[in-house]
Parts: sequence; C-alpha cells; structure tokens
Amino acid sequence: METTAQAPEIQNQWVSRLQGFWRTFSRNRIGLVGLAMLIVIILMAIFAPVIAPYDSSSSASVKIDDVYNPPSSTHWFGTDDAGQDVFSNFIFGSRVSLTVGFFAAFISIIIGGLLGLVAGFFGGRMENFLMRFTDIMLVIPDLPLMVVIVALTKPSLLNIIFVIGLLGWTTTARVVRSQTLAVKSRKFVLRARAVGAGRGHIISRHILPLVMPILVVQAVLVVSLAILNESALSFLGLGDPTALSWGQMLNYAFGRGAMSIGAWWALLFPGFGIVWVVLGLTLLGQGLEQVLNPRLETHHLMAGRPVVRGEAREDAEKPTGKNPLLEVRNLSINYVNEGKPPARAVENISFTLKEGELIGLVGESGCGKTTLMLSLLRLLPSAGQIVNGRVFFNGKDLTALSEEEINAVRWKDISIVFQGAMNALNPVRTVGDQIQEAIIKHLPGFPHDQRLQERVVELLDLVGIAADHKDHYPHQYSGGMRQRAMIAMALACNPQVIIADEPTTALDVMIQAQILELLDSLRKKLGLAIIFVTHDLGVVAEMCDRVLVMYGGVTAEYADVDAIYNEPRHPYTQELIKAFPDLTKPKKKLSSIPGYPPRLDALPAGCRFAPRCPLAFDRCHTEQPPLHELSNSQSAAHIASCHLLEASK
Amino acid sequence: MNRTRALLRKIGWAIFTILFVIVLNFFLFRVLPGDPARAGIRDPRLKKEAIEMLRVRFGLDKPVINCFESLNPIQLGSCTVNPLDTQFFIYVRNLFQGELGISYHTNRPVADILAERLWNTVLLIGAGQILSIIIGVVFGVFAAWKARTAIDFAAVMSSLLVWSLPTFWLAIILLFWGSNNGLPLAGKATPGSSSLPLLQQWADIGRHMLLPTLTYTIVYMGEYTLIMRSSLMDVLSEDYILTAKAKGLSTFQILKDHALKNAMLPLVTVIAINLGFTVAGAIQIETVFSWPGLGLAIFEAVGRRDFPVLQGAFLLIAVAVIFANLIADLTYNFLDPRVKTE
Repeated sequence: METTAQAPEIQNQWVSRLQGFWRTFSRNRIGLVGLAMLIVIILMAIFAPVIAPYDSSSSASVKIDDVYNPPSSTHWFGTDDAGQDVFSNFIFGSRVSLTVGFFAAFISIIIGGLLGLVAGFFGGRMENFLMRFTDIMLVIPDLPLMVVIVALTKPSLLNIIFVIGLLGWTTTARVVRSQTLAVKSRKFVLRARAVGAGRGHIISRHILPLVMPILVVQAVLVVSLAILNESALSFLGLGDPTALSWGQMLNYAFGRGAMSIGAWWALLFPGFGIVWVVLGLTLLGQGLEQVLNPRLETHHLMAGRPVVRGEAREDAEKPTGKNPLLEVRNLSINYVNEGKPPARAVENISFTLKEGELIGLVGESGCGKTTLMLSLLRLLPSAGQIVNGRVFFNGKDLTALSEEEINAVRWKDISIVFQGAMNALNPVRTVGDQIQEAIIKHLPGFPHDQRLQERVVELLDLVGIAADHKDHYPHQYSGGMRQRAMIAMALACNPQVIIADEPTTALDVMIQAQILELLDSLRKKLGLAIIFVTHDLGVVAEMCDRVLVMYGGVTAEYADVDAIYNEPRHPYTQELIKAFPDLTKPKKKLSSIPGYPPRLDALPAGCRFAPRCPLAFDRCHTEQPPLHELSNSQSAAHIASCHLLEASK
Repeated sequence: MNRTRALLRKIGWAIFTILFVIVLNFFLFRVLPGDPARAGIRDPRLKKEAIEMLRVRFGLDKPVINCFESLNPIQLGSCTVNPLDTQFFIYVRNLFQGELGISYHTNRPVADILAERLWNTVLLIGAGQILSIIIGVVFGVFAAWKARTAIDFAAVMSSLLVWSLPTFWLAIILLFWGSNNGLPLAGKATPGSSSLPLLQQWADIGRHMLLPTLTYTIVYMGEYTLIMRSSLMDVLSEDYILTAKAKGLSTFQILKDHALKNAMLPLVTVIAINLGFTVAGAIQIETVFSWPGLGLAIFEAVGRRDFPVLQGAFLLIAVAVIFANLIADLTYNFLDPRVKTE
C-alpha cells in the first residue's frame, strides 16, 4: 500500500532532479562537446551498414594491387593489408570497441558499486575485508594480468569483456565506499535510522540517490578505460580475430608491414577512432564532474581586480590635515558575480586610527568586517573589488600602490592576526621558520645568524611560548598556543598597526581571556595601534578606545566606547547593548534581535537594518539613510546612519 | 613507537600482497584451460612418450596440490600424497631459490631471461616517470596559479587529450615520425655498437631511448598535470596562503615556500598507485619499439605460448610494483611532518 502511494512521488522526484541536472549540464560546454562526440560515434556504430561504403565481411575482392592503396576517392581511408576498405572497417570497428567498452564497464560498475555500497554501509569487519581485498587488486598491475588471463583462455570477445570487466572495478569500489560513508553520517540518514527505517529502505531511498551521481561519473571513466584496455589487448595480439575492433585493425597493420611500406593511413585512422571515443568520454566525465560536484575554482593567488578610479573619489584625494596613522575614507567594496549584478559587500565606510589606539569593529558574521579588513592590505579574494574610497597610511594611499609597493607595507607596517590560527599557519613548516621568514623578508639588514634565532625566541617569549617549541610544527601546538604564535608572527617586524580579525573565536573562554590580555599588554608595551574585529561587545567594552558598529556592510554607528555604551543612537547598537549582559544591572532582561542579517545578493532597498528594526517606519524601507554627524568635537566624532537622527543633528 | 608499528604493518601488508600474487600466479596458470605442457608444445609430430617426457621435465606430472590431482574440485585425489612433492610446493620452493622455471621456447632459465630484461624496463619507466612528473608538475603549477585563464584551459584540455591517447598508437605515430627523421626505430642499441668506446655506446642507447621515453612522457604527463593542478588549487585556497600573502611574500615565494611542498605530498601517493598502470604503458611501448624489456618479453611469450616466461614476468612485475608502492608510501610518511612527528 505504502509503496503504491509513494511510487509516483518518487518518480516525480527523479524527474525533477533529472530536469534540474539537465538545466545545469546544458550550460557546461565541455560536457556538451563530450556528449556530442559520443553520440556521433554511437550513431555511427548503429547505422554502420548504412554508412559504410563496403560490406566489411564480403570485401574479399583482393586483387594483388588492392593491398595498401593510399586514400583515394573510392577508398577514403585507403585499403589495408587484406585489400579491405579502411573506412568501412573503421566504421564497423566502432561496434566492437563500444560493445566491449560498455559491457565490460557495466560489469565493473555493478561489482565495484555493490562492493563499495556494502563496505560503506555495513562497515566493521565486512568493510575491512572488502577494502583490503580491493587494495590488493588495486596494486596488482591490471594490463599484465589481463594479458595473462586472455593468453591462457580463448581470445574471444566474450572473454575479453569478462576479463576487463572483472578487473576494472577497484577504483569504483573505493569511490562508492567513501561516498556511502559520507552520506551515511548525514543527518537525514541518521534520522531515518533512528525512526527504525529498514536497511533496504535507507539504501534505496536515502543513500542510492546521493551515490548515483558519483557512480555515473565513475562509469564514464570506466568505459573509457575499458575501451583503452581492449585496444591494447587487441594490439598485443590478444583480440578476437573475428571481431575487427580498432585495436585489432592496428594489430594487423602494424604486424603486416604497414610501417615498412609507409601505409600511414592503415595506422592513423583506427587510432583516431579510439582517441575520439575516449576523449569524448573524458570530456563528458569532466563536464559531469563539474556539474555534479561543483568546486569553487578560486584561490588566494589569483589576480585581484583593479581598484576602480571613479569620479566619486575626488572628494577624498588627500588625507586630512591631522594625519592620523591610518585613515579609511568612504571605502566601498563589491563582489563581482559573473552574469549577476555585483554584491555590495561594504559601502562607504570611514574611520581613523591614531598611534597606540585600539578601535573595535563590531558586527554579526557576514556583515563585511573581514572583507573590510582584507581590503586595507588589498588581500581581497579575486571576486572582490574596491570600487570607491581611499586608505591612507601615514599619508600614503594604499589603494594606489603597485603590487610590489603594497608587499612592502604588508606585515612590515600593518600585520594581521587571522581567526582560526589552525589553518592560518602552514602545517608542513615549523612555527619558528614561519616567524623568521617575515623578518628575512622585511628586514633585509637583519643578520641571518644566531641573532635571528634569538629574535624568534624573543618573540615567542613575548607571547608566552617556551623557546623549545620554536622548531615544532603547528599540529603539535594547542589552539591557544597557535593563536599566540600567530601574534608573535604578527609582531615580528615591529609593525605600527595590527589587525586582529576575531582572534579568539573558536577558543575556549579561559584561553580567550589570556589572548585578549596579551594583546592589550603588548599594545601598552610596544605602542601598537590595533583594529580589533569581534562580535563580542564585552571585549569592546573592556579594551577599545573607539568603536565602529557595522551592519550589512554599512556603518551603523561610529563613536567613542563610552558613547556607544551609554548613549547609543542607532537602533541596532541599542539592540546589541540590550542583548549584552551588564554586571551592574543583574536584573536586566536580555533580549535578542529577531531575524537574520541581510544576504548580500538580496539587500533591502532602504535601510539595511529596517527589516529587523523595532523602530522602522515607511521611509526606512525605501530610502537608505545617510551618515549623520552627531558631535561637533573633531576628536570624538560620533556618526550614525538612521532616519530618526535627522532632527537631532 | 606508534610510528614503528604503522611501518611494520605496512611492510607486513606488502608481504601479504606478494604472497597473494604468488598463489594467484600459480593457480592462474594451472586452473585456466589447457595443460601448460600441451598448450606450450603444440607440435603434432611429438609422440605421446615425448610429451610425457616433457611433462616430467617441467614437473607437470606431479599432483597440483595435496588432495587434488588436478584443480578440478570434483576430481579429488588421495590425500596421501606427500605435500612436499606437489607442483605447488615445488613452485614455491623454487621461487625462494630464485628459480622461475625454464622457458619452453629457448630452454633457458626464465630467471636469467628476465634478469636481462628487468633493467631495460626500469631504465625506460624511470626516465619516462621522471620526465612526465617534472613536466606535469610544471604545467600543473602554471594551470593552478593562472586558474580560469586561457593558460589554464589549454593545460587542462591538452592533458585530457594526451590522457585519451592509446599508448601503442602514439608510439606508432612517433615511430613513423622518427623513421622520417633518421632516428633508430627498434631495439636498445645498434648492432655492433658494443665494440665502440663506452661514451659512444651510451650515446647510441640514448638515441634508441629517445622515442620510447618521449611516448611514455607524453602519455603520462597529462595525468600528473591534472593531479598537480587540483592539488595545488586546494592548497592555494587554504588560509595559510592568505597569511603568506599578508606577510608580503611575492607570488613566487609563496608558490615555492608555502604551496609546492604541500601540494606535492598527495602526488607521491598518486605516483605510487599509478605505477601499476604505467607498467601497462611500458608493455605497449616496448612492443612497438622492440625495446628489450619485460613488456616485450611478455608480448613475445604470449605469441610463443611460452608460459613459464609469461608467469615469471607477471610475477616479477607485480612484485616490483608492490615494492615501489611500499617505498612511495614510506617516503610519504617521511616527507609529511604531520605523520612524521605523530
């Protein structure tokens, strides 16, 4: 009963999934080319008797001068050693090669798929045994084994299919097993198990649909390998002499003097057939892989987008007269998406940093904090682009520097402590080595001897790491130690500014406190200016001089820390403070802000906070509020962007 | 401590695999149809007595294994056979004494024939592997570094193309090309070159190696390019590369000091797994160029139904691949500090 009711639903599910797949696949050029190549050859195999000018079986019209004739109008690809038309044999040969390829691959895929599924699903001893067996079969060279088996048995087409099929399943088994393992531990499978669904049900309804795509990609690869193996076996003289595959044609030509006669046509064209099919399958596989398992093909060394020089920048040509250490003015950053409008990740942000000052940058995840910080040193990913604004450091515009010039500023003047130092340190180089690398790069006069080692030890000592850890690898450090090592590295060239990008996330509370204390004491000891990125208001209250509150890529409020805590003007800041526990008012009710920050590709038309703002009115939803200057004092600017503040200006 | 145990386990596993291959190799040549003696000496002029003598000579008159007269499980023999006097035991005992039987064709010990051939194959595969790895790594690095540009596209497409080439066919094409350009076409040395001074002998061998090595390199460089590219893409999107960039290192320095080693570690494993496949290439290349290696020995043995040589060559190749695998595995452990210091 249940199955009859579910059957159409499952069918619909499959149909819609296939439709969705085709939509993506039809945009993949490589895959389409491969598919087209394959279809051409399959059609050729099906309609071989219609296309071929000569019947391959009855071409025994051998006159002595028919042998090895060069290509002509009667024989497009010439004739072979038996006086047969190479073009006709080429067309009929596709049948043999494709038959062997598809049937052998079918056997391999069934065996490999089953073994992988069983091993991955049942685990335990079964898995251990099956995988050990697979490993053994994987390491035994397959073509020699095929040669041995076919040589000992009859070289018939059926034998070849079975031998190739029975030896070609190893990679499939491994791939399917690891995919099954991955799927098995997903939530919906665990849930199905918890409610007592049967094994058959789980495998067919939950696991198979997610293993299938991988199996399809694998099948394409296995077919191409089977065709290559068949051609090699045939060429080595182990093919079925009655079935003229492309490999067999080459065997005859090569073994019967085509080379010495110079009959290149008998050797060239059959090979084209193999290359055509295998290349078609390879391209198809590549395309399927890209569609079914899309990977972000980007990395940190890809060329960044040039800074845009528009008219809007004219107002910020020169630094202000006061010359603070770092001045960010009207900075805007877009993420460029091909075929879509750019995402406005950061818009019109301005702030200043004086020597020895600590500014806090506060906001929820995804509000553009990290993008803003990376842009200061022009470290944006390749899709990121500075579209407006300037970054002045000691009066120098960092956005106008060449790549070489900015490299000299990086780490020497401004260094970064990244979040999650586990991945921020290179796993295969020692920590000391990575610290000293920065010194060698930026302080060329520094002696490369004992003095350098002492400096590294000194830096580690500064952050409380014992000297004997210098030559250890990051994985031998604890999480807190790695973060300290990262700070030591950031201090290596005596920079003037350190950007600390959520340096304490992912650390436990005690370690967090230690790291914060360390940063604060270093600031006092070394006179550092620090930009501290965090979503933790408590940290801000304790350490910062000034605070920039960001929301959805724009400035919500920018003021002295006292002003932020005691008289927040922007509704978002007010809500944040309400959500933050205050020791002096233990009875205060904590509230959270309902909803989520806006997605960059779907920004609201008006104020970006409006959808979540308790005070929002009509205008907020249609018009983006400008930045309102709320204080006359130059030294303690107070800026907020909210329509409610228009009157209080 | 832990490391030693892992090491011992790997070695033990390799030994087990070799034992498996030894057993497989024996039974393959006994189970599959055709009494090796009769299949090997298909000469209708031989009298029954002569065949029997040959059977005795090649040890084929003895029971296959204790309790089995032949490998037909229905034909159970008496279990009173001395297990030390069975074909299987004699085969294993001979193996441990380095004896692989006698060639049907030349009547020479198989071990001697293969010993001559082994180094030629090692030479070919060694040169081809080194070249294809170097080229693959260089192309892969450029493709990954310049990802999603025309350079990358060209590198990926040409890799897919060379991957799709049947090895023997490319060898034939290059042979054709070589024959028009005065390169030696077959064998390892020009006949009579052994009387030349050593340096000229080597130059002669080098000229003979040129085309086989070129074929080998072209066929396998595509795969290494693709693997290197994808491995380096993974590494270059890691956080520590951003750190390196933030440190002000140049692109060249980042690639050299932070990315290359990390990206090449997986390549070591792939090279090991690939060895089994590359042997397939060697067989085809040696056949086309008549390069006197193990592959050509296999090809010739197949044509002559010379089963002892075929059996010995298969065993030797399988054992060599297993060894090479083990060495690559151990090298990986040695190179990766994450494994080394655990």
